[in-house]
Amino acid sequence: MSEARLFKPRFNPAKPAFGILVFLLYLFLLAPLLIVFVVSFASNQYLSFPPEGLTFKWYEMLPEESTFMNGMRVSLIVAVIVTVIVLALGVPVALALDRFEFKAKAAVQSFFLSPLLIPSIVLALGMVLLFGPLNLNNTYTGIIIGHVAITIPFVIRTTLMSLATTDTSCEAAARILGAGSWTVFRRITLPIIQPGVIAGGVIAFIVSFDEAVISLFVAESGLPTLPVQVLRYVENSADAAVAALSVILILISLAVVVVVERAMGLRKALR
Amino acid sequence: MTESKLSIVDLTKRYAAGLDPAVDRLNMEVEEGHLVALLGPSGCGKTTTLRMVAGLMDPTAGSIVVDGKEITHTPVNKRGMGMVFQSYALFPHMNVEQNVAFGLQMRQTSKSEQKRRVAGALDMVQLGHLSKRQVKDLSGGQQQRIALARALVVEPTLLLLDEPLSNLDAKLRETMRTEIRSIQQRTRATTLFVTHDQDEALDMADRIAVMNGGLIEQFGSPTDVYERPRTRFVANFIGQANFLNARVLSETGSAAKGETHYRVSIDGLGQFGAVGAPGLTGSTHELVIRPHRLRVSLQPAGTETIAGVIERVNYTGDALSVAVKAGDRVLQSQMPTSSGDLPRTGDAAYLSWNEQDAYLLPTPVKEPAA
Ligand SMILES: Nc1ncnc2c1ncn2[C@@H]1O[C@H](COP(=O)(O)OP(=O)(O)OP(=O)(O)O)[C@@H](O)[C@H]1O
Ligand SMILES: [Mg+2]
Repeated sequence: MSEARLFKPRFNPAKPAFGILVFLLYLFLLAPLLIVFVVSFASNQYLSFPPEGLTFKWYEMLPEESTFMNGMRVSLIVAVIVTVIVLALGVPVALALDRFEFKAKAAVQSFFLSPLLIPSIVLALGMVLLFGPLNLNNTYTGIIIGHVAITIPFVIRTTLMSLATTDTSCEAAARILGAGSWTVFRRITLPIIQPGVIAGGVIAFIVSFDEAVISLFVAESGLPTLPVQVLRYVENSADAAVAALSVILILISLAVVVVVERAMGLRKALR
Repeated sequence: MTESKLSIVDLTKRYAAGLDPAVDRLNMEVEEGHLVALLGPSGCGKTTTLRMVAGLMDPTAGSIVVDGKEITHTPVNKRGMGMVFQSYALFPHMNVEQNVAFGLQMRQTSKSEQKRRVAGALDMVQLGHLSKRQVKDLSGGQQQRIALARALVVEPTLLLLDEPLSNLDAKLRETMRTEIRSIQQRTRATTLFVTHDQDEALDMADRIAVMNGGLIEQFGSPTDVYERPRTRFVANFIGQANFLNARVLSETGSAAKGETHYRVSIDGLGQFGAVGAPGLTGSTHELVIRPHRLRVSLQPAGTETIAGVIERVNYTGDALSVAVKAGDRVLQSQMPTSSGDLPRTGDAAYLSWNEQDAYLLPTPVKEPAA
């Protein structure tokens, strides 16, 4: 480390330029968020920019807006169940893909990763048609199946990434020391791949919580999730309550990331 | 005869139906408390053999017997063995103490007993002071010792080591060699040690199994395989050797250890004395002479010498290698250096050896078709 410092030039002309570039990039990425944030405190009658005055009334409105509260409940229930299911399915699938050689491996792999490549509107349409005769439209089961399908690729990918860097002889060592298969999985494999599993779980939770297209197709009329409610609200009224809601949502996502980061080191997980 | 600790009988592994076997009808008897080195070039089946003994891999055929009990199909976690991997395979999410305690936990040892034995094992590898360290904060040599402690703390029926020293730098490798050997002798753990380093095997092992292409070419003590190689491969793989085709003319007496002195004739160079197994008279055998047992003198001395010309001299400080061209053959000789005159390229040289240092390989050379 100290050696690297020895050879570091005193002034690097690329550095300020790079700094400016990074700043512009962040600005580009964060500008919409900033605008939403500002608008949520603006007293304008309609959703517009720039603000005409400061108010908290949009935030005060939120608890009374039952559609938002119901949507929030549905979305949270769905996201939690989806996260549990997708981890229970995705981790074993990733293990199988990493550890075993089988004939249909390539096919299985592309099957599980395909939802990433198919536009969700196509998936959503297919699901509506499929769920109709099964009576799954407007049910939790229907939404959850849809969300599991689109989030499982993330869990499989992050878990596979963790698996790729693990030393399989750790598992062999544990077995020789007397551990059965389940003990090896619980005490050795799982802790080693934990970062990838957690990262996959966090991504799955956030993706499911944010998902609009499938929810809209499958359960708009009977079981609207929060993003669906937001869409509906914007269709009907044009005030800044949605901006306030968006800020709350951003804070929830941020809270999830921060809590997980504190608890288990997500930064390590996402690296 | 004493019962062996480990018997391997006709052990065979074929990875796929069409392939040549990676291990081919291997037989071996290992005595209690011995350290046996599986030595051979890359791909000869050392790791495969070790993994079958460990139970990490099913043999295609053959059997493995430990303490008189057949364990060929016993699951790996029921064999009670200890293994040290080339990569050490320490559990990265546990600290040193937890790593070493793992095997004891699997055996449901009591907490107090665990504590006592873990401390004992760590003291044995002189790392008692690091018990709370995370394993990623250990040096290679320290990780190696922890891996050894983790394998030995369960008092394994067999200790299996797969190239445990190959990830260490040269200096540390020497230290760990001595240390592993002394710990092994203290614990009297019967040990299989995989290596492709002949010095390691000669230095550490009670017995060496020299493997080649899935077969054991020779199984014997270090002096056996070095002094009395059974095949050209063994002679070549362990140390260096000069090979000369020698027609065995007659017996001249009996030597120590049931061997026989012979008079042999080497084409174009004359007649010489040699030793070998009994009953070689009449056929042609390869004569093995180690370079440092081949004397080079610059004056003709005695009758049984080979006259030649020095072709090349390599000076490496403590040793001098001299290549001598005699007829159409080039022979290698090695000697300690002295401060006197060095032989020079182009000088005339006379090669000689002690009779017991010229060993006839037991298998005759196939006569070239006339
Ligand atoms: N999983 C496998 N599938 C097919 N062939 C294999 C497999 N593992 C090993 N082999 C082959 O079996 C033979 C013996 O391999 P093994 O790993 O036992 O050699 P080794 O003596 O340990 O070599 P090294 O010194 O390189 O570790 C080699 O030819 C190798 O290519
Ligand atoms: Mg090997």
